[in-house]
Amino acid sequence: MKKKKEVKVLLVDDEVEFVDTLAQRLRMRELHVDTVYDGEQALSFIKRIEPDVIVLDLKMPGLHGIEVLREIKKMSPQIQVIILTGHGTEKDSEEAKKLGGFDFLRKPADIDLLVAKIKEAFAEKIERTMTAIAFAEEGELDTAEKIIKKEE
Amino acid sequence: MRIWKKLMVGFGVYVTLAAIIGIFAYVELRTITKRFTVVEVADDITNIILEVRRFEKNFLLYKDDDTFQEIKKYLAVLTDDTDKIRKEIIKEVGTDNYEMMKNAIAEYDFQINILSKNFKLQKEFISKIGVLTRSIEKNLSGDVLNSFLIVRKYEKNLMIYRDKDIYATLINTLNSPKFATAEVNRYRSLINGLFKLYREEQSSIEKIRSKARNIQTFTEDLSKRERANITTILSRSAILLLFAVLTIIILGTAVNIKIANSIATPLKQLEGITKKIATADFSKRIDVRGKDELASLGTAFNQMQDQLQNTMRFLELANEKLRESRAQLVETEKLATLGRFSAGVAHEINNPLAIINEKAGLMKDYIDMSEDFPNKEKFNVMLNAIFDSVRRCSSITHRILGFARKTDITPEAINLNSLVNEVLKFLEKEILYKSIRLELELSEALPVIKSDKIQLQQVFLNIIKNAADAVEEGGLIRISTGIKNNTTFQVSVEDNGYGIPKEMLKNIFEPFFTTKEKGKGTGLGLSISYGIIKKLGGNILVKSEQNKGTTFTVEIPV
Repeated sequence: MKKKKEVKVLLVDDEVEFVDTLAQRLRMRELHVDTVYDGEQALSFIKRIEPDVIVLDLKMPGLHGIEVLREIKKMSPQIQVIILTGHGTEKDSEEAKKLGGFDFLRKPADIDLLVAKIKEAFAEKIERTMTAIAFAEEGELDTAEKIIKKEE
Repeated sequence: MRIWKKLMVGFGVYVTLAAIIGIFAYVELRTITKRFTVVEVADDITNIILEVRRFEKNFLLYKDDDTFQEIKKYLAVLTDDTDKIRKEIIKEVGTDNYEMMKNAIAEYDFQINILSKNFKLQKEFISKIGVLTRSIEKNLSGDVLNSFLIVRKYEKNLMIYRDKDIYATLINTLNSPKFATAEVNRYRSLINGLFKLYREEQSSIEKIRSKARNIQTFTEDLSKRERANITTILSRSAILLLFAVLTIIILGTAVNIKIANSIATPLKQLEGITKKIATADFSKRIDVRGKDELASLGTAFNQMQDQLQNTMRFLELANEKLRESRAQLVETEKLATLGRFSAGVAHEINNPLAIINEKAGLMKDYIDMSEDFPNKEKFNVMLNAIFDSVRRCSSITHRILGFARKTDITPEAINLNSLVNEVLKFLEKEILYKSIRLELELSEALPVIKSDKIQLQQVFLNIIKNAADAVEEGGLIRISTGIKNNTTFQVSVEDNGYGIPKEMLKNIFEPFFTTKEKGKGTGLGLSISYGIIKKLGGNILVKSEQNKGTTFTVEIPV
């Protein structure tokens, strides 16, 4: 049985062997992992189930990783995205950071490092979500106050 | 002297010499002609005198009037001719001589007249004596007549011989008293007169002959003298003409040879130098002499040659630069292509490498979870070897990608000296371990440079680490910084290590090229450094001699 608070990770990579093996290893490290093999699949997956952290390759058939990142951040900005790629350039790295990517790792990556980054990203996501809720509550209070003042 | 002047001088020498000879010959011929006229005149006079003398002889023999008239006629011609002698000839002969000759002719004429009268008187006297003696002989008789007849014999002898003694005897005989008659007295005075005429005739003849001889001698002398003069002039002219012709030939030839040489020599020199220039040999210059057209041509030619040589030098230099920059371009292009290619390869390798990494990782995960099984430890060792190799591969691919992706430069103010010191701190351990002597010659007056600090650090780290690897224990590394021409920073790293073989120098900036032991170097350090410095607009120069050491010089524009 899985723990209630386990991290939900989505691996997006067109290298099936890589993505499956990595998924297996991450699961062994008590992470909840799902896998998809291209950008479109990733986007449709997110529409159904929201993961906490997405590990995203850049060079894939169909949508490029950067485009996928852009879409994810539009749809669900709270989801944290770690780029893991063998093709990355400095330009890609900067672009990813600009679009709100959490980190940029190069293949082959050390498993412990990757797990650590995923956990950091998860912590970041939690914090952001909390802040968002806090802001939202404040906003509601504000609105309520305004309404009261108006009625007065 | 200008060429046409030279040619005119050459021509002028001939013309002048020919003119001098011409004038000289003309003068000589004129002199000869004058002399000949004198000779002609002298000969004419001589001929007339000879004619006169022929008649004179006849006249003395026959004492006739016809001959006298002939003489007179010739004398008239002579006088006439003499009067007609031209002034220049008189001058030539000498006025005194001319006057003397004229006087001699006049004297001759005068004496011939006297002689003619004398002859007439003689005839008269002789006929009177004839008449008188016939009358005397009639009137005489006897001894007196005989004596008188003897006197007559004397008289005949006297007429034939004209002797003084005969005359004295005759007069003495007549002085005898027996002849004391008036007729005899008359006869005596006639004999006296005749004898006197004889004596006068003699004197006249002598004078005539003397004058004639005078004239003759004079004209003959004149003629002879003039002929001698002519001969002298002719022989002198011949010698002078010969000399003049020789002079023309020698002097004219010498002058013209000199002129020809003065024209031909520079032309020959010009030809020689032109031929040399045709083979790109600029070593010779025209030796410019004088001030003629050839000298200006020579000066202009030398200027042209200088210009040509400069242009050639410039072209050679430009060509050399072009060759160099082309070689550099080819080198840069080659390195860029290699870089792109390596980057492509690195990208492609990263994915399978990641699979190897994950598969091996999964294997290790399983082994870690498993209980002890045979050879578990060996599996762990082998897996660790796989991880090591994966790390090695990934470090290579990551470095290659680092080399290839350098697009942006983040400029910040850097002091090159402190940059060098920072880099040396990274290598402190290695330098200490190999007890390397470090000499720093850091220029104090180095302005701050604006460039990418991280990248420059990487460059100097690579180069200084190479130097540290190249030297033996206790080796030397000398690092100097400076600025060249106020436009370029220079950082030199010199070591006394084993150096780079000459044939490898051209490869050292290529990726994966290394002389280090297997596993000790990736062969990317210099290639990355080269890429960085090129991107910064600088250059890396390398000088190396095997077993002596290597010097890298990094140039960065200010």
